[in-house]
Amino acid sequence: MATTTAAISLSSDITDSNVSVSNTADLNTAGTTTGLNTMTSVTKVLSSTDHVDLITTGSVSTTHAYVYINNPSTDHTEYFHIHIGNAVGSGTYDDSTLPTEEIGTLYGGDWMFIPWDVDDDITIKPSVSTDMTVEYMVFS
Amino acid sequence: MATTATITLTSADIAGDPVNVSKTATCTKAGATTDLDQTIGLNRVHLRSTTNKVLLAANAEGNNLAAKVYIINKSEDPSLYLTITINAQTVGKLYGGDWMFFPWSQTDTSASIEVAATNWTSSTGDIPVEYALFHEDTDFLTNA
Repeated sequence: MATTTAAISLSSDITDSNVSVSNTADLNTAGTTTGLNTMTSVTKVLSSTDHVDLITTGSVSTTHAYVYINNPSTDHTEYFHIHIGNAVGSGTYDDSTLPTEEIGTLYGGDWMFIPWDVDDDITIKPSVSTDMTVEYMVFS
Repeated sequence: MATTATITLTSADIAGDPVNVSKTATCTKAGATTDLDQTIGLNRVHLRSTTNKVLLAANAEGNNLAAKVYIINKSEDPSLYLTITINAQTVGKLYGGDWMFFPWSQTDTSASIEVAATNWTSSTGDIPVEYALFHEDTDFLTNA
């Protein structure tokens, strides 16, 4: 099995005593010390503000995965809404009625890394219809 | 004041060629280049509840504002996991040693981040969890 690690270095001087955190996780199959052996790496350009699938459950054959998503834009006003659940396409996008839960908004320059239990699709909605690039990796 | 988060993903053997991805984000206010200026700091709790507990309570005023969340399962037992949930939507399971970092949209007060030590038993010991929130403007309360 492969050995894959995910390290984070987090630092902040917001408070008088700075926050400085570093941790490294081995990416293993659920509840074991056996390394994951599958990786998908994708760069995609989205050209509409429709709410669409980014990573479908059908693309992963396990029930435990790790997902990295990056918004490489250098424009902080360009963002993606990242959800888990069903996409509504070009339909009504209303936070209060969506068949999906918004996790967060990924602004230009931001990245996220989460475990994913592969129950529901990961979906995305760009803020603008001019080409926006999203990068993601799935380890499973 | 600045808050930065760097991720490094590496593997020598998950693909034919080595994988080495590194990315640093400077955490800023929504749609701006202004640094985030509020945090709850780094916190530690011990979980022994198999049902959901609120780790970070959503504040509707936070909708459309920037917030970044860091959570790590500090258990040394790789089989002990936390189930991470937002508004009844399971995000994933954080096994011993795993961490996550993500932007948090508080679309409404139901969007609290909840955790459960799903496979905890009296013989497994508590699951130590550390977490931090970096955000702008509104107030946040934790009640884990």
